[in-house]
Amino acid sequence: MSLDLDATAAQIEALAAQLRSEGQGSAARLAAIVAAAQASDYAGINSKAEASAGLTFFSPAEPLEPLGARHDPPPLPPDFRVLAVDGSHIDVDRHLPARCYLINLGACVLTYGSRPDAVLSSRPRLYASEDELYLADPASPTNRMAVEGPILGLVRTVQEAEHLAEIAAQQNDTLPTLALIDGSLILWQLAGRDFQGEQRFVRERLLRQGFLRALDTLQSLSHPDGSGLALAAYISLPRSTEVMSTLRLALCPYDRADCRGVCAQEHPGERPCDPVQGFVDREVFAHTLGPGQRSALFRTRSSIVRDEYGPHQVCFFYLNAGEEMARVEMPAWVAEDPERLALVHALTLDQARRGQGYPTAVQEAHEQAVVSGADRELFRQLLEEALEGQGLAVYTSEKRLSKLRRIV
Amino acid sequence: MSRFGEIIESSSTVFTAQCYHLYEGPPLGALVWAGTGPRTIGVVCNITTGTLDPGRRIVPRGAQEESEEEVYQSHPQLARLLATHIQAVIVGHMEGEAVRQYLPPAPPRIHAFVYACTPEETAAFTHHFDFLRLVTDAKDIAADEVLAACLRSAAACHPDPADFLLRAGKALALELTDDVPRLNAILRRVRP
Repeated sequence: MSLDLDATAAQIEALAAQLRSEGQGSAARLAAIVAAAQASDYAGINSKAEASAGLTFFSPAEPLEPLGARHDPPPLPPDFRVLAVDGSHIDVDRHLPARCYLINLGACVLTYGSRPDAVLSSRPRLYASEDELYLADPASPTNRMAVEGPILGLVRTVQEAEHLAEIAAQQNDTLPTLALIDGSLILWQLAGRDFQGEQRFVRERLLRQGFLRALDTLQSLSHPDGSGLALAAYISLPRSTEVMSTLRLALCPYDRADCRGVCAQEHPGERPCDPVQGFVDREVFAHTLGPGQRSALFRTRSSIVRDEYGPHQVCFFYLNAGEEMARVEMPAWVAEDPERLALVHALTLDQARRGQGYPTAVQEAHEQAVVSGADRELFRQLLEEALEGQGLAVYTSEKRLSKLRRIV
Repeated sequence: MSRFGEIIESSSTVFTAQCYHLYEGPPLGALVWAGTGPRTIGVVCNITTGTLDPGRRIVPRGAQEESEEEVYQSHPQLARLLATHIQAVIVGHMEGEAVRQYLPPAPPRIHAFVYACTPEETAAFTHHFDFLRLVTDAKDIAADEVLAACLRSAAACHPDPADFLLRAGKALALELTDDVPRLNAILRRVRP
């Protein structure tokens, strides 16, 4: 039986009505938040954040300039380049006759200005050996984790960053260059407690020896004239609330924001900082930023970044990219260099405009990487044929066969 | 121009080539050749340009640009995502110097390189007019327009273009004795 759309539609209608009634009161709250943001003293907020370390239920971003700051887009350089890499994968599937996974990396190098050019490429790789299928703890090789599901997603993210560094290294001129990552620079999935005990080696391998090492390479690719490569991560429709948490500090009337002490007995919605409840950062910036403008610069205070990222502490701003409010993240070595920061602002905006809402280079890298449903089926067929060609048994699960047969 | 693309579809009567560079293919009616051994000769009967990925839609990009050229400069990926294809109706083949104005025993292979015929090759191939019927009889192409374009461009490769067109007109008259209006329509299109 297919989905009962009549029954589902009635529930969707009810949801829409509920959202509308909730939205009616939110406009006034949002206006109050925007006013609070513009009036707040960012140095004071940062002092309060330090005084409140470990006492809050939220993780506020550190503003590096006044919260209400707005910056018009800098001019584009006459000639420049944008690089992007994206990936797609075919996960380990126990219904397949062999244990393996495939990662397809798509890359895009776009050169603009007096000598426009485009290079699009893809690189599929199949992984099936024991050390590719499992991450093992070097201190205790029997302690290992299978590379599949979310871990495979992280392995792919690491490979994307490494490939981006490879491609950046191949550019042998001094054009101002932006390397773009799709999504966040923060590997949140590794932040949890799961990766702090016995599984600590997974974090070590994927983050320190993988992703951050690729960022080290990107940082080292400085041009002789000092202009260097800029690196940024572009997040479309961000759901982050780090700046909202910063505003909680601004709204907090106490000397120290002590959620666990002073406000522990309050109900949700009754605390002085609760006007921000339910809003995400981009909703506030949608009210304050004009077309093309970027917000103040912030630094994340998330623990994984503070503990692991070293010189790549993650900074970000919000960008009014025209069609939407994007979050643009960059490592501190980019944010602290006014030239590279300006390049990130100008080029992410320009990319979003050229791409009619979303950066062209990331779109094209994605198009190179994507593995369609038809491709997945072909991959399975090729795998079966290859195994048969070697005289190996080809089998699949009855469950998979039953889905194909769909008998009545 | 000479070599400009490769065959991506091939049959006994027509072949399709993808040009190496966007918009850089021979014009309608031009003679082209492909294949080794016997060289298959075709007349360009259709030119198309579109996206290489049928799942992606082409959208306008030039609202803020001054010229078409600027659209391509501002979006350099377009040259990689779009492609020009030419379709050629097969009108014969050449084995060494020998010209055969009938279909070759086998069509050119996929990935065969495709070349634009030089003026000398064009003049040599169009010395006789048996190939005209292969164009007039071809289905699903604008045969009369293709033939007229072919004769106009071939005329320029002969030392006496007027004499060439006169001979071509006579040969065509024999092919289209039953369809004088069609003959006249083609002749009007090749008149100098």
